[in-house]
Amino acid sequence: MSGRLDSGITTRTHEWPGGKRCVAVLTVDFDGDCREVGRKETPLGKNSHGRYSAKCGVPRYLDLCDELGIKATYFVPGYDAEKHPDLVREIIARGHEIAAHGYVHEGWDPGEQEPALLKKSHDILTPLMGKPPRGWRSPGGSKTEVTMRTLIDLGYVYDSSEKDYDLPFTAHGPADRENKLITLPNNVSSLDDYPFYRVSYTPPSEVLAHWKEEWEAIRAENGFFDLTVHPRVGYGSGSPARVGIIRDLVKHMQDSGDVTFVTLEELADWCIARRDAFARDWEQENIGGTHG
Amino acid sequence: MAEGTCFVTFTVNLQGMSVDRALHGDNPAKHFGGKAHGRYMASIGAERMYGFFRSEGLKTTTFVPGWEAEQHPELVRAIAAEGHEIAAHGYAHEDYTNAAGEADLLAKTHGILTDLTGAAPRGWRAPTGLLEHETLAALAGLGYAYDASNQDDDFPYRLEADGAPGMIELPQTEILIDAELYSRRATHSKLRKWWREEFMAAYEERIYVQFTLTPRADFGSARASRLAVLKDFLDEIRALPDVRIVTCAEALGCIEDGTLFCRA
Ligand SMILES: [Zn+2]
Repeated sequence: MSGRLDSGITTRTHEWPGGKRCVAVLTVDFDGDCREVGRKETPLGKNSHGRYSAKCGVPRYLDLCDELGIKATYFVPGYDAEKHPDLVREIIARGHEIAAHGYVHEGWDPGEQEPALLKKSHDILTPLMGKPPRGWRSPGGSKTEVTMRTLIDLGYVYDSSEKDYDLPFTAHGPADRENKLITLPNNVSSLDDYPFYRVSYTPPSEVLAHWKEEWEAIRAENGFFDLTVHPRVGYGSGSPARVGIIRDLVKHMQDSGDVTFVTLEELADWCIARRDAFARDWEQENIGGTHG
Repeated sequence: MAEGTCFVTFTVNLQGMSVDRALHGDNPAKHFGGKAHGRYMASIGAERMYGFFRSEGLKTTTFVPGWEAEQHPELVRAIAAEGHEIAAHGYAHEDYTNAAGEADLLAKTHGILTDLTGAAPRGWRAPTGLLEHETLAALAGLGYAYDASNQDDDFPYRLEADGAPGMIELPQTEILIDAELYSRRATHSKLRKWWREEFMAAYEERIYVQFTLTPRADFGSARASRLAVLKDFLDEIRALPDVRIVTCAEALGCIEDGTLFCRA
């Protein structure tokens, strides 16, 4: 046991793009009214929050990214892309990455329908983008070996849904696929707006203070900062005040001189070029199961 | 910072026992204690809140359920007489989910409010936050000019695409609804902090801002301590240049004369 605790795994360090101590990604999960439609709710009244994304939230993030001089990764559910093709094209035209995020934000295990659903969104995004998306994030955290196998077969190179690690790593399994996905973990407990604006109801200034603490701790470990925001009302960060704290946070991080903001796709390519450095010791972690 | 006027509307949902009855049933023998929070509205809440509005010279749009108007006609008439706009808020805190009889309830409340105030209400808000496109179409059929149920835009917008040609949406802002925070037992300082941050940033961008208040003690702003919070906040808003406080009906006029932006 002491050997494991002495392994120094928490201070594992990597070279990052741009030669900085840390790497950061701003990820914007579009989450328009697809989420309500998927839950069989009419997107009006108190269920209308998703409609804010396309009208107000996404345009505000596009302007913010220009102002800050950063490129972001926008995860766009297939349904939202179908409804707002011009906005998807606009996101691309302004230099950002589009990645896949379910069809109607299936926050559940779609079971045997999943390969067809992943393919459906893939086929919606590909012509809009002029090339296939290379990254995926689970809409509600649901992910199985079927998901990984399907993503690999569709040509995806990374997934950003895993919660069990701080740093990028090469995925474990599936055993029957040679190409393993690069995993770029997302932390939905602390580096996501949902827990604060929908669970704890914390005012934006306190959320900003919290994320600055996250940043300082990650900076001390030379790590990976992967922030998730939703450009909608309610659980999201679409409003002027909440976009405002993202501006303050990114500027604060940029002022440190210790970070490069990249897209997840750029980071995935960085990791693919250094696969060995991003391998995890699955035997030591003993994650169990038959895959591997 | 954007230029121009920041239009702000204060709305009130006149929710008394209609809410508690929807939750706990309509047997008055059981309407005591924890099943009768709503009685606060007609006993003291509305009187204190509208007295505050009078002393502040603040005109609101007050959304009135038909059932509350039947129970408290003098109160509703008095609110109207003070210069507040009376708008409709369902009959008795029901969902609008395309169940049978919903159109009848809209028409019934429309009639109650029209008879009581002598003028047809021009606006509507879903009492529980749930509505359907058919609800909007039925309201358009009754001659309503606006809905104020959605929470999905920085500016008013036209409801053609939502099935109600001719109607305008005057959207609410979720976190600026007192019930959203007080029902989750937010402290005064938490609400004040949150409202100040959201409003100041909205003001900088000059978007349309709608506050929603409830004259109750449990999830509303009618207790003296909570009106004190509102008083501080109102003073801050009014000290800013370019803020114009309008009722919903006045906001429609500002859209008509081109001073308030409305999305097509
Ligand atoms: Zn999502």
